[in-house]
Amino acid sequence: MQRDIFLIGSGQTRFGEWWDKSLRSLAEEAVNIALKNAPCTALDIDMVIVANMLGEVINNQAHLGALVSNFLPHTPPALRVEAACASGSIAIHTACALLESGRADTILIVGAEKMTDINAEIISQALMSAADSEQDQPCGLTFPGIFGLIAKRYMHEYGLTRKELNAVSFMHHHYSAKNPHAQFQNAISPEEVEKSPLIADPLHMLDCSPVSDGAAACILSTKKKSSYRIAASKLANDTVSITDRVSLTSFSATQKAAKNAYEEAGITIKNISCIEHHDCFSIAAIINLEDLGFAEKGKGIEWYTKPITSSLSSVTSINASGGLKACGHPVGATGVKQLIEIGKQLESTNTRYGLAHNFGGACATCCVHILENISAPSIT
Amino acid sequence: MFSPPSIHRAIKTRNRKLQSGTIISITTIAHPPHPFPKKPRTIALIELEDGSRVLGQLATCYPAGHCLFIGYRVLPRMILSHVTPQGLRVYEIAYELAVEKHAETFDESVFPRYILAITGPSGVGKSTVSTLLEKVCSRSMQRVPILTTREPKHGDDGEYYYVSNKEFMLLGKQGKLATCAKILSKNEDRHYGYRRSDIEAIWKNGRIPVVVTEMHLLEGLAKSFGRRAILSFGLLPPGKSRRAMLSNLLFRLRKRGRETDIQIHERLKNAVKELKFFKERAELFDHILVNEDIDILHKKIAFFARRNA
Repeated sequence: MQRDIFLIGSGQTRFGEWWDKSLRSLAEEAVNIALKNAPCTALDIDMVIVANMLGEVINNQAHLGALVSNFLPHTPPALRVEAACASGSIAIHTACALLESGRADTILIVGAEKMTDINAEIISQALMSAADSEQDQPCGLTFPGIFGLIAKRYMHEYGLTRKELNAVSFMHHHYSAKNPHAQFQNAISPEEVEKSPLIADPLHMLDCSPVSDGAAACILSTKKKSSYRIAASKLANDTVSITDRVSLTSFSATQKAAKNAYEEAGITIKNISCIEHHDCFSIAAIINLEDLGFAEKGKGIEWYTKPITSSLSSVTSINASGGLKACGHPVGATGVKQLIEIGKQLESTNTRYGLAHNFGGACATCCVHILENISAPSIT
Repeated sequence: MFSPPSIHRAIKTRNRKLQSGTIISITTIAHPPHPFPKKPRTIALIELEDGSRVLGQLATCYPAGHCLFIGYRVLPRMILSHVTPQGLRVYEIAYELAVEKHAETFDESVFPRYILAITGPSGVGKSTVSTLLEKVCSRSMQRVPILTTREPKHGDDGEYYYVSNKEFMLLGKQGKLATCAKILSKNEDRHYGYRRSDIEAIWKNGRIPVVVTEMHLLEGLAKSFGRRAILSFGLLPPGKSRRAMLSNLLFRLRKRGRETDIQIHERLKNAVKELKFFKERAELFDHILVNEDIDILHKKIAFFARRNA
């Protein structure tokens, strides 16, 4: 990073199905919490970036930059970014670029999504707009379908079994039961995953992240300081359609973004103690861990089926928030929530580095952030 | 996405998908999105023969757990995909497992026996199309050798089986010919025909016999096997008027340089009768196609053949 950028404040709503809250009220709630626990006032914010994917489609609300800017008394300059499920992390990445360039000193980033106002059929179609409208959509494919294809291919290539796959959601629910902000605060058994209704073979309902309402906000600053510094912010892209991919079982955008992020932070995976990765479907969790470098190809599942010990890294927690599956996945808010969550985990474990991995579509856009707790001891 | 203009644009690129391919991965979606029918839908990522990949629906829906289909060959087929709110019926290329098709074809009781017949005036491109069909669809189609009493000629491409007049007559008397015709000519005495045994042997191998016919041969085939056993294509040369069509034929016959001027003249005379035949005996044809582009034409025929199967 060209300048030291600090995470000075954060706030989030509980993710869930909130019939009595609108997109605006969710965003406002997160902003107010973030401002409350930041060492600055609202007037110190000199820019606002909003992350949202489906405001126009679901809430009939575009122009979200100006809408959120109005929450602050001085209506600072604001913009909205969209990169499907990666919108949140793209907003952080954009904020980092603006802070590095000196165009702003303190930026408020808000990720918000209100998805439960419409029925599942329409939301499924709306989410599918993150795929290729000419190559992927005409045959009737959905996102669970895309990841069903990925899962089937992965099982074919690496011999992953349906029973092993159950462990992913089981583990995420295990963690979310302790997270007050999680949509699902209940544990489930591995058998329940397989017994839940089939969505897209081989994926069942409990393999899929839910439709959620929620918002998360954070404040990044080069002027005000805190213990949490953005050590790396890297963005990478791949083809939108899976028909143009060489491999279905690894995501090159994750590999590129992660490699560049480790280089930018000047660390290796051995320095990372906690990860929040984009487990939109259980198969994605396995592939993410492999592509981020924490497991060899075909062995990502071992992070879920065996106790967390690896000669490759010092990771002590993976998706301790419950991940997208159990904490919830209000699309635009997820990337912001992940960074906030990493901050919390670094604080509670007093460790140095944490990684947030967020992608959009079938990993056509991927953003990796590394957060450093500068007051914690380094792992050598 | 599913507005009539977007569907129209998609149709223009649809022919690209009209190839056989191999399944890379497969899934069955329990609840397809709007506007697709509300029943499970099996979708596969398919690597086509030209190396490109497409996502396509499988014509048959398979229940969960069919991981074994990865690596299987599929053939394209046109199916009704959905009906738009405006009432537009949208057809899309779907795929079916080639192994299933083969399994069916080996079972004589199940195989829908039919003959693919291509009829048209001399020079319209019948032989070229049948050669291309045999090459491109070698797994499913095979040309039936034409029995002829004429002398071998330069330019014959192995499609003929040469017999003497006596042999030909004997086969006819024994009832071994599925169809035969004598082409009237001032300077040639030519008989053509197809052996019943050749057609049946191709059926036994699970393939579709492809025959190149003229009007008498086509009528004979319809009599021998029944009209329903023939998927019949009439080929026309390009041209808006009969005169323009004949002019095109003349150009093609001269260009290929296999016939003398007298022979070309006779063929054109026969062509006039053939063009009339298309109108008079329209019930003998399933599809009338214009041979403007041989690549498109053979793909169209292959497509109709697969749909018919």
